[in-house]
Amino acid sequence: MTEPLLSVRNLKVSYAVGGGSVDAVDGASFDVPRGSILGLVGESGCGKTTVARAITRVIADNARITGGEMIFEGTDIAAIPERQMNALRWRDIAFIPQSAMNSLDPVYTVESQLHEVLRRRGGMDRRAAQARAEELFEMVGIEKSRLRDYPHQFSGGMRQRVAIALALALNPKLVIADEPVTALDVIVQRQILDQLRELQAMLGISVILVTHDISVVAYVCDRTVVMYAGRIAEEGPMEAVLTRPMHPYTMGLRNAFPDLKGAASGTLTPIEGAPPNLASPPPGCRFAPRCPFALEVCTRAQPPLRELASGHRVACHRADEAPVLRELAVRTETWLVPA
Amino acid sequence: MAHLKAALSRTLQLALVLWAVVTILFLMFRLMPGNPMAAYIDPTFTAEQQEALMAQFGLDKPLWEQYVIYLGNLLQGELGQSFRYREPVAERILALLPNTLILTFTSLIIAYAFGILAGAYLAWRRGSAVEKVAIPIVLTTRAMPEFWLGMVLLAIFSFWLGWFPAGGTRSAGSDYGGFWGLYTSPDFLAYLALPALTLAIYSQGLPLLLMRSNMLDVMKEDFVTMARIKGLSTWTVVVRHAARNALLPVMTSFAIAVGYQLQGNVVVETVFSWPGLGRELVRAVSASDYPLAQGAFLLIAVVVILMNLIADLLYSLLDPRVSHA
Repeated sequence: MTEPLLSVRNLKVSYAVGGGSVDAVDGASFDVPRGSILGLVGESGCGKTTVARAITRVIADNARITGGEMIFEGTDIAAIPERQMNALRWRDIAFIPQSAMNSLDPVYTVESQLHEVLRRRGGMDRRAAQARAEELFEMVGIEKSRLRDYPHQFSGGMRQRVAIALALALNPKLVIADEPVTALDVIVQRQILDQLRELQAMLGISVILVTHDISVVAYVCDRTVVMYAGRIAEEGPMEAVLTRPMHPYTMGLRNAFPDLKGAASGTLTPIEGAPPNLASPPPGCRFAPRCPFALEVCTRAQPPLRELASGHRVACHRADEAPVLRELAVRTETWLVPA
Repeated sequence: MAHLKAALSRTLQLALVLWAVVTILFLMFRLMPGNPMAAYIDPTFTAEQQEALMAQFGLDKPLWEQYVIYLGNLLQGELGQSFRYREPVAERILALLPNTLILTFTSLIIAYAFGILAGAYLAWRRGSAVEKVAIPIVLTTRAMPEFWLGMVLLAIFSFWLGWFPAGGTRSAGSDYGGFWGLYTSPDFLAYLALPALTLAIYSQGLPLLLMRSNMLDVMKEDFVTMARIKGLSTWTVVVRHAARNALLPVMTSFAIAVGYQLQGNVVVETVFSWPGLGRELVRAVSASDYPLAQGAFLLIAVVVILMNLIADLLYSLLDPRVSHA
């Protein structure tokens, strides 16, 4: 296997909150292979967006990367000086934000915003930038006559396409898409995801797709990282993680989402309770308080991330019993009884 | 098409506002106690002479008829005769208007240029020591009454240091020839310096604080974060994106401030003996020169209304969400 494009090792990000600090990401490790889409999935507040932003090193004012490494093409980008990092931004690592409405500057045309990155960051002259802008619009399927329009003149789906065009402008190696389709309706979601997949395959780039929606992962991702409360619960090939999940949280997530492909199979079952407060996380497995299969050991010791099948790693004390737990997890009544 | 329609409806609104102002002015001066002719008519005139004069000015006619004549005259640009100067009001106030506009725009442009830059800088340096010192100073200058500030500046720079003249617009016998000649002559600028500085210091607080708070809001916007993720330079992020967006309401406030400033001028023009509309207005009112006061009020109202129109147009020019709706 070739060396991954990005290796995140034991990443820690903490937020300063009211005198104390909260570890929003507490030791996350995963690889982003070349030329594939990695789904980073989990519920709100699990730290997935924090991980995504940490890779760009543009994080909230009160956030700080407190530990770990991010090896991008052999360089630890967590340790390089800001100046060097800034040179990598957008040329090598681009970003597709959740809300393309607020992430495009309302007072400039989309053309001028494309020109901005092409000329200021890509070093192109006016003519080359214009040609590239038209090419990018063609790639994402927007009439080039609309280059002169302002962001507010586009629909939500079109704006997201503009955001994709912007992200691809300088031929980055890695595109981080933070909930790129969350604000869109299901039909448009599919169109955008199809396009993202198509462009990713065509350009051979890597994508980290951050989402709370496991059906989005099932639809486009090659690999999946499931995060829970700032830690990685399970990681592996998408097919394996979703069809043979080994972490009870992944089993629960799978029950809680409809299928994007439209096959409504059975009832949806939510996971009861809420994620723990990260200011004072539970001592053992962080999912234990909500887990129907939690044992005494789960509340005491943090389960290590173990590789149980090829490329499939899980952090659960009962991972060896996974086939049995999966049988139980598909039953609604399993989740109705709070552990 | 939509533009034309919007412009037409805006113009119609302006005409309505102007008519309301004109009517209020007409009534105001006629409802004031005292005989409007008191300043004009010598007490030694006979009753017949007095009545003849009243008739000459049309003051013997019923109120509605006076109103109709007044409106008709206004439409022809006729503002009546000044009681005091015995010359047409229109001539008098139009001669003074440039002095007032020069003072107003000079001071406001200084105030806004400074306020916008300093406000943007303070927002960018949020939480720094500079901010902790600067904000109280700005609040203090904003709280100072302009006549007091004017007198302090006069005391220091004119009477004590002797750097600038104490009042007026030009040295005796000087002739500049044309607007640019005037505006580039060191003599005129020396006269302009203190009143303009007073008004600028008095006015800089609003654009500065407005710019700063807008910037703080805009810097939290996603597109500013995205600009940083794009690896753009700090200058591009702060100026091209954050400041450009924060500027919109500040530019609107500029136009409105011009109208507001004319009111401030009344005081400063008096302190610095600046022969402008504001000082003339005060004199006209105290001398019961009603036609002149009325004309001056009207002209100020027109400037305010025009500036509001400019504020609207400016906004649609600067914000594509308005112009490209």
